[in-house]
Amino acid sequence: MQDWRTYEPLLIPSIKDLHKIDVYEKNGGYQQLKKVLSDKEQTPEAVTNTVKNANLRGRGGAGFNAGLKWSFMPKPDGGPRYIAANGDESEPGTFKDRMIFEYNPHLFIEGALIAAYAMSIDAVYVYIRGEYRSWITMMQKAIDDAYAKGYIGKGIMGSKMNCEMYVHMGAGAYICGEESSLMESLEGKRGYPRVKPPFPAQKGLWGRPTTINNIETLANVPLIIKNGSEWFTSIGAKGHPGPVLYGISGHVNRPGVYEYPSGMLITELINDVCGGVRGGKKIKAVIPGGSSTPPLRGDSLDGVRMDADSLRDAGSMMGTAGMVILDEDTDMVDLVWRISHFYHHESCGQCTPCRDGTGWLEKTLLKIKNGEGEIRDLELLLDICFQMEGRTICALADAAAWPVRYSVARFRDEFEARCKKSIYAVA
Amino acid sequence: MPEIFIDDQRFEFEGNPKVLQFVLDQGLELPFFCYHPSLSIPANCRQCFVEAGTPVFNRETNSYELDENGDRVIRWFPKLMTSCSLEATDGMVIKTHRSSEKVARGQKDTLEFILINHPLDCPICDQAGECPLQIQTYKYGPEGSRFEHKKVHKPKRVQLGPNVVLDAERCINCTRCVRFTDEISKSKQLSIVSRGDKNYPLTAPGTEFDDPYSLNTVDICPVGALTSTDFRFKARVWEMNQTPGIDMTGSKGTNIDLWVRNNLVMRITPRYNPDVNDHWMPDEARKDYRRINENRISRPSIKLDGEQVKTSWNNAMLTFNEETGKVKPSEILVIGSPHASVEDNYVLSKFFNRLGVSDVHFANDIEKGRGDDFLITDDRAPNANGCRFLGFTEHDPAALGKAVSASGVKMVVILGDDLIGRGAFPAEAVQGKFTVFMGTNNCDTSNAANLVVPITCSAEHAASYINEAGRIQRTIPAKETVYTSRRLNLEMSLGRLDHFATKFDNWESDDNKVDCIPAWEFLIRLVQETGGDLTYTSSREIMDEIASAIDTFSGVSFERMDDEYGIPLKKENQPQGKTV
Repeated sequence: MQDWRTYEPLLIPSIKDLHKIDVYEKNGGYQQLKKVLSDKEQTPEAVTNTVKNANLRGRGGAGFNAGLKWSFMPKPDGGPRYIAANGDESEPGTFKDRMIFEYNPHLFIEGALIAAYAMSIDAVYVYIRGEYRSWITMMQKAIDDAYAKGYIGKGIMGSKMNCEMYVHMGAGAYICGEESSLMESLEGKRGYPRVKPPFPAQKGLWGRPTTINNIETLANVPLIIKNGSEWFTSIGAKGHPGPVLYGISGHVNRPGVYEYPSGMLITELINDVCGGVRGGKKIKAVIPGGSSTPPLRGDSLDGVRMDADSLRDAGSMMGTAGMVILDEDTDMVDLVWRISHFYHHESCGQCTPCRDGTGWLEKTLLKIKNGEGEIRDLELLLDICFQMEGRTICALADAAAWPVRYSVARFRDEFEARCKKSIYAVA
Repeated sequence: MPEIFIDDQRFEFEGNPKVLQFVLDQGLELPFFCYHPSLSIPANCRQCFVEAGTPVFNRETNSYELDENGDRVIRWFPKLMTSCSLEATDGMVIKTHRSSEKVARGQKDTLEFILINHPLDCPICDQAGECPLQIQTYKYGPEGSRFEHKKVHKPKRVQLGPNVVLDAERCINCTRCVRFTDEISKSKQLSIVSRGDKNYPLTAPGTEFDDPYSLNTVDICPVGALTSTDFRFKARVWEMNQTPGIDMTGSKGTNIDLWVRNNLVMRITPRYNPDVNDHWMPDEARKDYRRINENRISRPSIKLDGEQVKTSWNNAMLTFNEETGKVKPSEILVIGSPHASVEDNYVLSKFFNRLGVSDVHFANDIEKGRGDDFLITDDRAPNANGCRFLGFTEHDPAALGKAVSASGVKMVVILGDDLIGRGAFPAEAVQGKFTVFMGTNNCDTSNAANLVVPITCSAEHAASYINEAGRIQRTIPAKETVYTSRRLNLEMSLGRLDHFATKFDNWESDDNKVDCIPAWEFLIRLVQETGGDLTYTSSREIMDEIASAIDTFSGVSFERMDDEYGIPLKKENQPQGKTV
């Protein structure tokens, strides 16, 4: 495995003005799209297989093999088919896609078009969170430029391929980052997640076959087409290969988005990449992949790597690789309450356990935070989590329950210290 | 045939039913809130949880894999499944709360969640007694709540539109009302606003919920969040008798339930009939209870020196016989009614046939442009087809007006139809002609009549009506008249008060009974007075005679109408009717 210290960024390389289409073209831009369009051997099936073999795992959180997802699309029947590119990025702690919008939008556009070729797509919808105003403008500019150069539209680069691309601005709802409510939102409806089945590949946008991919996932596609799937699998962790944008925030000296191979040691990311913890303090906890992933204790980070398998063994998840580093001064009760407050605010209100459970969690945590909690409230918290997990249409209930469940389990002493002594027997 | 095992009991199924609907169809119970058989399936209340599994099929041996006991190996879904959205497949195994602790816990947990923000004030809630949430909490819910915080407060008493009031705090966000306006009435006037536990249904800013079918949302609301402006806090469900009936405000033949307390119809709700109105009815038709309760004609009256005075039934009958004796049959104009029942119209025609009057006329009651392509019809009368099938002569109201004004007419007999009120002819047209009005409500026609005979309305008699599609359906008496008794008439429904109240209880009263009899009964009494041969004792008997006498009605009986939710009369037998 290549040492991360000598790794050259591929998704956001340090080339000046790469977001301009001329610069992108000079640096080999749109050549991979040309390759799949002109090379007879690059049939849609072959492209899908290449991506599938590269084991490109979705960067949006679930980590599903993107090529495999593409292969679920039914055969074209003449009707419209869509890609929804998910740039909603609303998980707290996640801010990686905006780097692509800002520094390398054409890489994403090229990847989306290759995906469109592989799945015979008629239109790509780029769903960007509404708060990203300037990045929406940048993305729109990039798409306009690509239209002008004939990379998007009718008869792309002289081939028979037609594909449109639209930017859609979200309206500030976390839930619209969930793929099925993203589709509802795109259709102009209230962002309620849909019941599955039917899956998006059968009935997606406006009832037509649709694939939803993360922005970063699609940006990886031209790299795979250029260098082949074997090259891609050689980067980073075995079960979760490829470059990853680590969005690191919290109590570190140099927070930011860093591109490195997957499978980086968490300790290396903190100490070497980010210059260590602010003020030389100890690490209390690390949230590895956005606020919904279970926090890891600072004293259990040895040997834990940022890939799906290693994090699963450590008791957390890869998520979006939006890491939040928390030093020893952090009040865990405060933190978990704030996370719960977020999920309470963002629950769409469709399913009962999430609608009412998130509020109950927040209120109970607030009670503990204010020093009015009792030991039995901790059991109640765990019980509410149990009652929410796996009982709803989408995963928001799980996302709300896990940080609470694992924080209470891993930092119980802190929670107990905030509680009043109970006069009742612990349930 | 594919099979499914529910709590270890084997059932066979056809097609692709959803598990919840299939379970309900077997007469088994499963709690649910958001599911409604006529609406789409959102699976959002999470109340109808079951455990589900499918047998493992081995493609190589082409058989199900078996364990050491010879039972099929079942692959269980890891999570609790919402049965409303789960499609039944061959060999599927379902565990409900009856056989699974996990399911029982899941259902209890959901109810605990629903109740943390739902007001616990059933005693003052209008829905109490017919509230799925109340019932299911008693059956499946937790004994208490562990919620110790302030509930979420939301707007109360929001007047959504002319007919519907919202109490957002009671709302459990099942979205049935939203789906109703999206999918059934298609007005799309309601939407859920806000997020999470703060959300509730509302109209768009500046608009009101004036959908002509808005009150259906009150019926399907599983809690007391949506209530009817008209009915809220008027009566408790357990104080009313619920009696099936037919809507009288249009020719759709909408099936309804009449809710009666103290001989007043308190409200009208739709009754399920998949062939006619499904679960729905228009708002306008619900207000028909006022016609039944208010402004009723009680006791016959006679016009003396230009003044109408109340009189006895005997005097009314004497006067009637006397007046018919004075004129020739050709001078009598008999007008049947599309608003009256088949039986009344039939006996009317038969009675005057005996006297030598061969033709019975009626005026249709059509308002062009009133109808939609759902449940509201242009025709405002429930039984125009009944008149047509009995061979009456159909007129436009104006044409009938001319016939009435003709100089050869000396006596006019009108059955239950406010012809003057609806502009068929002016009151002057019947001046100087002896006019008999047999009707239910005071109106312009009754004011102009020389003899007014009060007759029972659709809520007081058993009688049939034929809708625009030629479907014959019947009513059941829902309220008492002076001459009928709920306890003696076995057809009438008995509510809690009828079962348990005595004459000495202050909530039992004899008020609101109207002194009237069915039109057919008045007519055969007239015959019996003169020793005639019309001897029916019930409308059931009349319908039996109609069925044997008229081809169109062959095979029709009250029993069949009850069993089959009305009978579509055979198309080839339907006469075209005479039109003038």
